[in-house]
Amino acid sequence: MSESLLQAPLAAEPFPNQPDWFRDARQQAALRFDALPRPSRTDEAWRFSNLRAFDPQDFTPARPVGLELTDSLLPLSLGADSHAGSLVFANDKLVARTRSAVSEQGVLWMSLEEAVAQHPALVQRYFMQSDSLFGSAKHLALHQASVRTGTFLYVPKGVHVEAPLQSFHWLAGSGQAVFPHTLLIAEEGSSVTFVDWFKAHNDARNLACGVHDLHVGAGAQVHYVSVQDWSRQTVALHSNTTVVGAGAKAVHLSLHLGGSFARSESVSHLRGPGARSEMLAATVADGAQEFDQRTLQDHGSPDTSSDLLYKNALYNEAKTIVAGLIRVAPHAHRTDAYQKVRNLVLSAEAEAVSLPGLEILADQVRCSHGATTGEINREELFYMQARGISESDAYRLITYGFLNEVIERLPENSLRVRLQDSLQARLQGH
Amino acid sequence: MSTETLSQLDVDRTRGDFHYPEQHTFDAGSGLSHATVDYISNVKGEPDWIREFRHKALDVFFSKPMPTHWASADLENIIFEKIRYYLANAQRPTRSWDEVPDDVKRTFERLGIPEQERKFLAGVEAQFDSEAVYSNMKKALGDQGVVFVGSTDGLKEHPELFKKWFGKVIPTGDNKFSALNSAVFSGGSFIYVPPGVKVKHPLQAYFRINAENFGQFERTLIIADEGSEVMYMEGCTAPKFETATLHSAVVELVALKGAKIQYVTVQNWSANVFNLVTKRAIAHEEAEVKWIDCNIGSRLTMKYPGVILKGRKARGEVLSIALANNGQHQDTGAKMIHAADETTSNIIAKSISIGKGRSSYRGLVHIPKHLKGCKNNTECDALLINSTSRTDTYPAITVRGSGNSVQHEASVSQVSAEQIFYMQQRGLSEAQAMSLSVNGFVNDLVREFPMEYSVELKRLIDLEMEDSVG
Amino acid sequence: MSLVIHNLHARVVGGQQILRGLNLEIEKGSVHAIMGPNGSGKSTLSKVIAGHPDYEVTAGEVLLDGVNVLGMEPDARSRAGLFLAFQYPVEIPGVSNANFIRAALQARLAAGEELEATEYYGDLYKEMDRLEIPRNFTARSVNEGFSGGEKKRNEVLQMAMLKPAYAILDETDSGLDIDALKVVSAGVNALRGPNLGVLVITHYQRLLDYITPDVVHVLVGGRIVRSAGPELALELEAKGYDWIRDELSEAALAAEPVLA
Repeated sequence: MSESLLQAPLAAEPFPNQPDWFRDARQQAALRFDALPRPSRTDEAWRFSNLRAFDPQDFTPARPVGLELTDSLLPLSLGADSHAGSLVFANDKLVARTRSAVSEQGVLWMSLEEAVAQHPALVQRYFMQSDSLFGSAKHLALHQASVRTGTFLYVPKGVHVEAPLQSFHWLAGSGQAVFPHTLLIAEEGSSVTFVDWFKAHNDARNLACGVHDLHVGAGAQVHYVSVQDWSRQTVALHSNTTVVGAGAKAVHLSLHLGGSFARSESVSHLRGPGARSEMLAATVADGAQEFDQRTLQDHGSPDTSSDLLYKNALYNEAKTIVAGLIRVAPHAHRTDAYQKVRNLVLSAEAEAVSLPGLEILADQVRCSHGATTGEINREELFYMQARGISESDAYRLITYGFLNEVIERLPENSLRVRLQDSLQARLQGH
Repeated sequence: MSTETLSQLDVDRTRGDFHYPEQHTFDAGSGLSHATVDYISNVKGEPDWIREFRHKALDVFFSKPMPTHWASADLENIIFEKIRYYLANAQRPTRSWDEVPDDVKRTFERLGIPEQERKFLAGVEAQFDSEAVYSNMKKALGDQGVVFVGSTDGLKEHPELFKKWFGKVIPTGDNKFSALNSAVFSGGSFIYVPPGVKVKHPLQAYFRINAENFGQFERTLIIADEGSEVMYMEGCTAPKFETATLHSAVVELVALKGAKIQYVTVQNWSANVFNLVTKRAIAHEEAEVKWIDCNIGSRLTMKYPGVILKGRKARGEVLSIALANNGQHQDTGAKMIHAADETTSNIIAKSISIGKGRSSYRGLVHIPKHLKGCKNNTECDALLINSTSRTDTYPAITVRGSGNSVQHEASVSQVSAEQIFYMQQRGLSEAQAMSLSVNGFVNDLVREFPMEYSVELKRLIDLEMEDSVG
Repeated sequence: MSLVIHNLHARVVGGQQILRGLNLEIEKGSVHAIMGPNGSGKSTLSKVIAGHPDYEVTAGEVLLDGVNVLGMEPDARSRAGLFLAFQYPVEIPGVSNANFIRAALQARLAAGEELEATEYYGDLYKEMDRLEIPRNFTARSVNEGFSGGEKKRNEVLQMAMLKPAYAILDETDSGLDIDALKVVSAGVNALRGPNLGVLVITHYQRLLDYITPDVVHVLVGGRIVRSAGPELALELEAKGYDWIRDELSEAALAAEPVLA
């Protein structure tokens, strides 16, 4: 591991009361990071990806931000109008939280370091339990060795959290690295909606290496939304693992807006009959941005279903990759899995790569995927122009509609509105 | 075509499972070295440039790793030292079946080749192990300037044409097996169709492996000059041996401006054959190349016919059917490289996995930047017959720039128990019902095939289904 | 004040000639109907006037209150006061009706001017009520998953909201059952008045029972071949189009001596 990245976090210990297993695991991860090779293009999981995008040497663990800056960030950390509580982090440090009534329901809602100190057994059971399935073991090791904070959300059996909970991760400065972590555990029959907002204070080149794991117990319902709005210079590596139990449902929506090279990996393990996962993403790619998205719908039990919809709008010289695999294990009969990737190419230089995959080893399955790449539909354009809308406005509106279809899949209205605002803001100027 | 003729054309699976004792005049022995390459080159009396080409290719073959980082690990089971790379009785094919040695002639008679030639073919080449034993073409075609000879004759008799395109569509180093073929190739066809000539009837090649532990490496180069048309069909069989047999061909097609080439393969290899074939075409302006590819049998087939759409408005098509039975892996697909404006490509791939069979689709569709008006449509559908069958789909689609349209769809389904029961209730046996379902599944594709082949294909499917239900 | 179509010739881009010297004048406050057999150029006419990129004008002009619109982009023509109710309204996924109509209205305001939201929704709801369109319609994507009747109501709603000077209704009756036809016609009739000129394009007379035209034109072979009062529509309904064709060919024979 590069000196610059590891020295500081271990020296400035963020976990004051950490148990031995936690400290050991971090040190092991640091050794692993050193030992593991960097991903190579011959690795199928990195096919078509731009590997020269970043060098960990260029970044140091983010330094805390000053009070004045913190004060300016808080009014920008609003999120959905109706929410049940917010945590605000700046450069990997918890800087604010709103009062939340959820603790009265027995919900544990706190920073990762608080959870490690207060609920070590729970954390140990669920923390970083998955290996990388996308050739990113080195990045996971970097995260585990360097993680300093994040969100811990535990919803007890049968508890329903009505309004969304949300966390804001701000990244300020230049050459800074953050390692946001999300650990969400929804026990049997519970329900919750949680939003991670990843936001940049300035337009500098930084590194974000996050891990976001969801454990959805039997019959539980989890909606997880992540808005990746880092600066356009940031290298963003986000890895998500969702484990869905019997009769449970997980919906994971990602809005990808920021980053220079942004790799997002998302796995849904469907474990238990009746488990369902919806994987949704909307990406706006412009300039020289590259979004590298890898997904796995892993059907490990019979009678499970999954539905993936990833949409990319590409401007300028941007590039998107969506490599999605549906895997159906030998005994996972009657699986119903769907995958749809749609690319809207809006410039002559943009490049869209689709790698939709199927590996089916079971019987009586209904599995299909579709991938399309095309430009704006001329009839839609003419219809809009015939109503007096200028060509450029029509382009923007059609593109907005194209991506908004993904957001419309969320049931929560105030959250939807806020995501639509973010999308609209991102499309301004195009 | 009369039904009587069709029934005579049926080639059934068991018909290929026989072999005659070997008596080879030329035998390069087991194992692969530069000496093997020299032996082949000497026997063939080749010019120096091709000898050098072979030696260089062998070095490339040695230097390239097995593609097991993405392909089946079963490739590791090919023991290159045990394979025999060249076996032949004579160097020149005859033009008359009467001159073909009796046992070889009997082989092809049992496969029905001379009959088919009489009925509907414009020309036939029959290859037995490393060399063609028979090669003939209707005289009228020769008068029009059509060339249809083996690869050795092609390079000797038409060096200008041959050198211009040989190894240009598929470079030696394209993959490990194209390098292997380039080092030890023998047999295959060289075809040239002059400008404007439309060959009405198909040209047929038949590839027969007779010897055990053998590797067949035919090399085919077809050049269709401006505005010409040709259809080429190939069939392949081998007897069942206990040991592995290797078939590794390279097929290059060149369709010049406005030309049309149809290349039809119905392969029916026995279950011990590693079938690792590289097939690619270049389509110039307004040219059209269609690959029709039916893969039945073999232990492992890896084959992804491709078209490089080099000229404006060129069109490429791959229609493929793969049937993977117990112990078989059909790893097939298609590549479409768009390299000019307004080029279109279409891929329809259907696979059927039976018992413990596995079928995989791999596709590549590439539309680089600054191209306009390119279109690709890909459909791949898989049918699973048993709960132990497996199917995979791994397409890669890269599109740069607006103004192009690409769509890909894939689905997996199975023959439902209800469907089978319904047909059984109407009096069909389980195998018949299965066969009907499978034929229904591939029906819309088979309709695109030449009549002779759709009949043969249907027969082969029936036989596979009989075996699988037992 | 009128919409004048003068000697209009148009064809599919790089293709077949469809309009061959069409002349028509629609005065503000009047309703004209164009009838014609299939393939006579009815839908082409509406698309050419609106500026669809599939067609090119080879001669002639279209004057909207004296201004030739043929050089304008489709959106500029719309803002100049031209409305086309599409025969096949286009689906626009992900864009809500409310958002779409607002964007169209916003496009008519000067830069920096913002549409007033309450006023907008007030107007929108009023027009929706009149067309018997339920409130949840505003949140649905434009025309997506709409029935034929819903799509046509949406066209009339947009017409009501955008307040054009001239409206062309292209086969607005196609795909409508009788109840929907009544609602849509009532919507159009409510907008009739001295400030609106209407051109109704239809294959059948049925629509004209509900939207009574002042003048009926017959379009054959890319030209207006006959113009008369509403009774012409009834005659066409009763006798079909063949008699007109027959008369035409006789007239043509009489007018142009056959060359040897």
